[in-house]
Amino acid sequence: MFKLIFIKELKEILQSSRFTISFAVCSVLIILAFFMGAKNYLASQSQYEAALQENRNQIAANTEWMMVQHSIMLPPQPLMALVNGVSNDVGRNISMSGRGELSADNTRFNDEPLFAIFRFMDLEFIFGIVLSLFAIIFAYDAINGEKVSGTLKLCFANSIPRASFISGKLAGSFVGLSIALLIPILIGAALLPLLGVQLSADEWLRLALIIFSGLAYFGLFLALAIGISAMTNRPSNAFLIGLVVWIFAVLIVPRASVLISGRLVDVPNVDDITAQKNRYRTQLFDEDRPKMEKFKPANGTDPQDVMTQFSAMMRELSTNRQEKIDAFTERINEEYTNRKNRQEDVALALSRVSPTSIFTLASTELAGTSLELQNRFMSSAEEYQNVYANFMTEKTGSGGHGGFRMIIRTTDDEGEEPETLDPNEMPQFEYAKTSFKTAASNSLLDMGLLVLFNLVFFGGAFTAFLRYDLR
Amino acid sequence: MKNETIKQAPLLEARNLTKVYEDGVKALDNLQLKVHPGEIFAMLGGNGAGKTTTINIFLDFIQPTSGNAFINGIDANTNPLEAKRNVSFVSENVQLYPNFTAMQNLDFFVRLGGKSNYTRADYENALVRVGLQREAFDKKLRDFSKGMRQKCGIAIAILKDAPAILLDEPTSGLDPKAGKEFTKLVGELRDEGKAILMSTHDIFRAKEISDHVGILNNGILVAKKTHAELKGVNLEDLYVEYMAGYMDETLETGSLINNLT
Repeated sequence: MFKLIFIKELKEILQSSRFTISFAVCSVLIILAFFMGAKNYLASQSQYEAALQENRNQIAANTEWMMVQHSIMLPPQPLMALVNGVSNDVGRNISMSGRGELSADNTRFNDEPLFAIFRFMDLEFIFGIVLSLFAIIFAYDAINGEKVSGTLKLCFANSIPRASFISGKLAGSFVGLSIALLIPILIGAALLPLLGVQLSADEWLRLALIIFSGLAYFGLFLALAIGISAMTNRPSNAFLIGLVVWIFAVLIVPRASVLISGRLVDVPNVDDITAQKNRYRTQLFDEDRPKMEKFKPANGTDPQDVMTQFSAMMRELSTNRQEKIDAFTERINEEYTNRKNRQEDVALALSRVSPTSIFTLASTELAGTSLELQNRFMSSAEEYQNVYANFMTEKTGSGGHGGFRMIIRTTDDEGEEPETLDPNEMPQFEYAKTSFKTAASNSLLDMGLLVLFNLVFFGGAFTAFLRYDLR
Repeated sequence: MKNETIKQAPLLEARNLTKVYEDGVKALDNLQLKVHPGEIFAMLGGNGAGKTTTINIFLDFIQPTSGNAFINGIDANTNPLEAKRNVSFVSENVQLYPNFTAMQNLDFFVRLGGKSNYTRADYENALVRVGLQREAFDKKLRDFSKGMRQKCGIAIAILKDAPAILLDEPTSGLDPKAGKEFTKLVGELRDEGKAILMSTHDIFRAKEISDHVGILNNGILVAKKTHAELKGVNLEDLYVEYMAGYMDETLETGSLINNLT
């Protein structure tokens, strides 16, 4: 009996005009998301390569390592283009310095501010907003529509268990619509290599899990809509309730959780912290100023000796200041990070009431575009900072930490030009993205929650239908 | 009217059937009826008399407050799945799946009824028997008139081949020709030995084909006549007489006045 209802449901879905229209719209959107994602990735990749080349050219144009303004860049990843997450909000460039705090700038939205308002149409948007709404549109009258039309009564004039009917209906709807969604998804995925986007095995696995999460997310909205349909007598009421639930789940809860966590955990803003750091830096410099003013060369009047002594004093002062600033910054940053982490934990816990947040967290974690992206980029940059500092020390005698520089160059009588630098000598920056294993285990909780929501809504629909008035 | 079959055990039986809804309305009051193989029992009565409630109890869509409904000797409310194997149902307004063709609908509902060994030819024969044009067999139901849908409904009942049939005002809204064809089919099914319980407003058709006519008034079976007893009796007068009694009763209790105000 289950099989009969299941097949009937599949046929009914596939033959309905509602399906034809929705399938056409979804297919276009999904394929477009893959196409645009691929194009964006390729554009980002060429932009990244151009920036790398520019960096190399800049090194090659110099004759002194001390004069090099070195930058490192966040390399684009194909999955970042498919599930944007925070990748467009994170600064992609870091001006490298041998010591001190690093900061990333030049976000994608700097280049394309319009997208900061309207955002990109990635897979997360398609599943999170469009498909969840389509699930409601598809299933809001799954039960009460049959009651109103009279087919439910005709079905149950036969000896069919309610459990078989609702199970067949849920499974038929889910499989029918999922297969229909998988077709454009597979076409979109096949487009990636054709458009020149080569995914590694690791990235294919991540993409497969993102799609699994998306289908689980779609399935729970479908079960929710069928459940609502089994609790109401009129399709119009079910649609209204479904729409209100959708608005809360998709639009309100994720935003509200951030607002509520902001109220619950107080975190100083970045400007305050920067101002504190600047004040402290100024204070330390003011403390050192008398020492600089009282500088007197110890012996002789040879300008080069004077300069060497002055530089040594300045370096010592600067090192001492920097040590104090680093200690202060570390303390203030730790405090800030702890509070911010607590605020984020509260926000994420609250937001997980909404399946949309859960799906967003799972998919961005798998795509490597979660909140961790910035931390990971900065950690990689900080690791590189040590390598860079050692390299610069080796090349220049100082750690490449910017500040005041004076170069005295002498040329011999033959006027020989100094040699330009070899950019290949500069150590390469490598962004350490999360491994598949780490990403999968980090997203396990959210994927589990999506499955749990499915079971809960399925159970809800099932129970509601067992008590449904069939007349 | 095959009187020799009446002696067999009833296929449909209401025994002291009472239904009081949650709002206190008594829809059925101690209803007793039996329909034997080869019989048609027509339930007449105004709106709210309890006709559809009776059918809903037989189909286990609602539970009786007390009493029992039996289909082929099986309690329809304690063992509904088994009981419903023995009954077909045709509603007042047969609604099938509009995106399916007549054939697809037939196939689904007949399989749902437990018959999975029919061929397309069997489906065609059933549809021809109920008078559906061949051109309509593979058309989607959304293009069908009410009469065509009713024909599909009776074709499903024929193919399910259950010993008992419940008809809930099956000719309501049909044009006279379609109504007559439908009645003829119901007569044929009775002649094949089916026990048919039919609720209807159509006094003349009820008298024409029924073996028993029962008049329901406020959930009470106030009159029950056999086909033989109705010979020479103007059923319309009889019906009006009972309904007038109902009117008097309601006037006495003031409920009609309350309703009017």
